[in-house]
Amino acid sequence: MPEPIIQVKHLTKVYRVPERAPGLGASVRSLLKPHYSDIPAVTDISFTVEPGEIVGLIGPNGAGKTTTLKMLSGLLYPTSGDAQVAGYTPWQRQPDYLRRISMVMGNRSALNWDIPPLDSFRVLSQIYRVPPDQYRQILDELIATLDMDALLKKPVRNLSLGERMKCELVAGLLYQPDILFLDEPTLGLDVAMQRRLRTFLKTFNQQHTVTVILTSHYMADVTALCPRVMLIHHGSLIYDGALQTLAARLAPFKLVRLQFSAPVENFDDFVAQWPAVEQLPMENGLRILRVPRADVPQVTARLLESLPVADLAVEDPPIEAVIDQIYAEGVL
Amino acid sequence: MRYLKLIGAFFKISSQAELAYRVNFFIRLLHSGLNLLTGVLSLVVIFNQVEVIKGWDMPAALALLGVYLLLGALRGLFIGPSLESVAGMDGEIWTGTYDFTLLRPVDQQFLISVRHWRIFALVDLAMALGLLIYALVTLGTQLTIGMLLSFTLTLLAGVILLYAALLAFSALVFWNPSFLFTWVINDLFQLARYPVGLYPGWLRLVLTWVIPVGLMTTIPAQALVGTLSPLMLLLTLAFTLAAFLGATWLFRQGLKRYTSASS
Repeated sequence: MPEPIIQVKHLTKVYRVPERAPGLGASVRSLLKPHYSDIPAVTDISFTVEPGEIVGLIGPNGAGKTTTLKMLSGLLYPTSGDAQVAGYTPWQRQPDYLRRISMVMGNRSALNWDIPPLDSFRVLSQIYRVPPDQYRQILDELIATLDMDALLKKPVRNLSLGERMKCELVAGLLYQPDILFLDEPTLGLDVAMQRRLRTFLKTFNQQHTVTVILTSHYMADVTALCPRVMLIHHGSLIYDGALQTLAARLAPFKLVRLQFSAPVENFDDFVAQWPAVEQLPMENGLRILRVPRADVPQVTARLLESLPVADLAVEDPPIEAVIDQIYAEGVL
Repeated sequence: MRYLKLIGAFFKISSQAELAYRVNFFIRLLHSGLNLLTGVLSLVVIFNQVEVIKGWDMPAALALLGVYLLLGALRGLFIGPSLESVAGMDGEIWTGTYDFTLLRPVDQQFLISVRHWRIFALVDLAMALGLLIYALVTLGTQLTIGMLLSFTLTLLAGVILLYAALLAFSALVFWNPSFLFTWVINDLFQLARYPVGLYPGWLRLVLTWVIPVGLMTTIPAQALVGTLSPLMLLLTLAFTLAAFLGATWLFRQGLKRYTSASS
């Protein structure tokens, strides 16, 4: 086993936020005697990440995802706890550490908007001391995989959101960091562009063994890229493991979709023989049953032998539904 | 060496962005020319009435105006634009893109101080240098090596003082993004156009030791005309060092605050 590249122990971040009641009087009072309240953003989280892993950090808005990423990238001092990333303490922000990590954010731009991206890339390569021939090589590779020849000479201001995001990725990867923090990289992109970026990230991760921690609100990002997810809720890590296990633990059901070759009467009565099976509203003429995982073989066997089944499919419930349930209930 | 190369890269990239708007060049030319003209004209008007004001004659006053314009040019060339892009209105701290700057493996203070250049301010620089050379030639016969040396030293001190003052005021933004106080320096700097000796006693003290815009221009000009005492030279250099260290300290404190509090 190689050493974990990221080790986080009991990391906690509490923000001190000035607080004041509405109204002018209260504003003046708070000017003279400010009143603060402590808002815990991340509470006692611990985990490790192996080199080359892609981990999805998920959770509702305000759960503490971005705060965690910011502490790991050295932008924030934690209130307590410790983290070692590639052998460094991130918030000491040693140049050697900063050269090994990269942060790409979907809602903020690292590029100068007035000039073409190619010029920004060149300056970045100088800041990160990338040797010219190596810079040429990685840039060619990135440009080819992201298919962005045409964008390089237009000012960033004139690019579309998707085009800009490609440029942000190049800016974040051209010095070949070992660790990549991606904060909602597909935010606001259309479905086709999201898919392209996902494919790119997957390939890049495999070819360069870069370790990735990704936050996203799009479950499709997570299902496509992250075999492992960490779920943060109200600042606490409530799940860390395989995505599939999470789904199974949360939703101990499977969905059985049925299509019949002839009309079936008394279908409702037929289903009623299994009290644990629930019939969901029909979709596109298909009957849908929610069946406990353990009962699936028996139920499908009975359906096939007793009814004129033309097609039968067994599926996991959509991950969005599973996640929604956690976000709403806040517990596993 | 690496840092010089980086400055070169920043200069190049800023110039590219600015050269796209060529009309700005002519506007700048007009603005700088008017600035120089009104400065010189007001001196001509004054020295037509009197030969000497409190020890300052026309060539000395021209030299001081030259120093004033030179400092203003350097501020406009890179100190102002660089600091403003971080701490100004719509600056990086305000918009949150400062996070990316913090992630760069380069000294933060260096990075935020030299990152943006306004190439057209070179016009101001050229005019200021022209005026300074003219003043030097007029003063010519009286100049000694020692005077030139202390002039160079104090001029450098003036640049550093101006930078330190702007850096200190910019650092305040780390405490609250609405603390935009660099205009205080910009406004008070106007007073440095004339020798601080002309102002009443209390104002002279303030302009020398509190907000040292007087030190920035009067002292180098005094060095040039030979009225600067060795003690004052030493005090100026010591004060400059202290101001630079103080501003750096304040900036680092602000940075610490930013990384421990922002969200």
